Amino acid sequence: MRRWLMVLAMVMLILSTGLGLTKGQIVPVQRNILYVHVPNSIGALLCFVALLIASVAYLITDRPIYDLVAAASAEVGTVLATILNATGMIFSRAEWNVWWTPSPRLVSSALLWFLYVVYLILRTSLPGSYRRRARVCAVFGIIAFLDVPMVYISARFIPDIHRPDFSFESAWQTAALVLSLSGTLVLAGVLLWLRTDVLRRRLELESQLHR
Amino acid sequence: MKSVWSGFRAVVVKDIVIELRARHVLPTMIVLGLLIVFVLRLVSEPSSGRAEMPMMAAAALWIAFLFSGLLAQERSFGVEQQNGCVDGLWLAPMDAGTVYLAKLTANVVILSVFELVIVPIVLLSFDLRIEGRWLDLVTVLALGNLGLSSIGTLFSAVVQLARTRGSLLSIVVLVVLMPMLIPASFALLVLLGAMPDEVAGSGTMAFVGSFKAARGYMLAFDAVFVVACWLLFGVIVEE
Repeated sequence: MRRWLMVLAMVMLILSTGLGLTKGQIVPVQRNILYVHVPNSIGALLCFVALLIASVAYLITDRPIYDLVAAASAEVGTVLATILNATGMIFSRAEWNVWWTPSPRLVSSALLWFLYVVYLILRTSLPGSYRRRARVCAVFGIIAFLDVPMVYISARFIPDIHRPDFSFESAWQTAALVLSLSGTLVLAGVLLWLRTDVLRRRLELESQLHR
Repeated sequence: MKSVWSGFRAVVVKDIVIELRARHVLPTMIVLGLLIVFVLRLVSEPSSGRAEMPMMAAAALWIAFLFSGLLAQERSFGVEQQNGCVDGLWLAPMDAGTVYLAKLTANVVILSVFELVIVPIVLLSFDLRIEGRWLDLVTVLALGNLGLSSIGTLFSAVVQLARTRGSLLSIVVLVVLMPMLIPASFALLVLLGAMPDEVAGSGTMAFVGSFKAARGYMLAFDAVFVVACWLLFGVIVEE
């Protein structure tokens, strides 16, 4: 099942790349990075929502599986947020001639990356029982989720240059974006599933070892 | 209600008395703050007398405040680790939220003492004048103080047994505090004269901001942080 979903995601991403290189190309050329940038930003945000839901579910039910889902979505989210910021910086340099500037969207994307990384560091460096560590991480996940909209609205105290003012001209471009979006989301979902499984098996092994 | 108040008062008084007698952290905080201001004053000499000076002063003030403030947060539950005092704290007949509010108050008091020392030093060494806006300055500093302490107190209880507790606390607190730091630095820049009171320009200043709005944002974020941490504190200390 997982293997077939992975193949499906790859096919969609390759098709999207093909379209982006041919009929769906956007002029000027640097704007084609949008086919990578937009799906990854949506995926990174969805992973954050998954992190929030899993954290709340863990605090309510106390079942370890939700903690593992939260950890896996943070790991996948880190990858997506890294691609999001990297492609954003390349685009920004080509379009506005600066690598990075504090505008609301860029500040919140950077903060998203920081929150993911700090979450992962917190997970690995807390001592104590499994339950206590999981609770602390869930609390951090909830507070971190509050942070993203807050930084987005407070970043209006900084000058803004991010104006995505281009619209799609042809159906090919829409098709390329939809393909790459669905491919990225399927891929992220499969990775999330895979990582949850790995973490669950690791936990089972550890509990057998300590018995 | 009465028992909540007496428990709250007991923890606050205990923390402040310990700090007054043993001087665990205030001298270190003040010296660290002074050193940060000193270094930033040294590198800002080329902009002496120019418009960049207030910016350097604002940077010096917030950096000194954040890093020295983190020392106070770490002490908050670090001092309870000796002789297992923390067990007594959890066994005391009051709920965890009250312990949190008491620890928060003690931290706000300690940070206020630190600010009383460091703010005049920054204003003097960077040669800045606050023209009749002392009340605004005190408000901004107090709101920043409350925001840092609310997050810091919550996570101080968490990181105590970690090997890398100081650095872990600093990355967690700084990343969560980010939304409040943006309006806070804007408000301080206005007060120190690096920015006009109200910005509604175009071009590179194509954004809208005013001192009043920044203060309102800080107030709102403080409220969110304090309420969220107060509610979640019981969850993380429960064994």
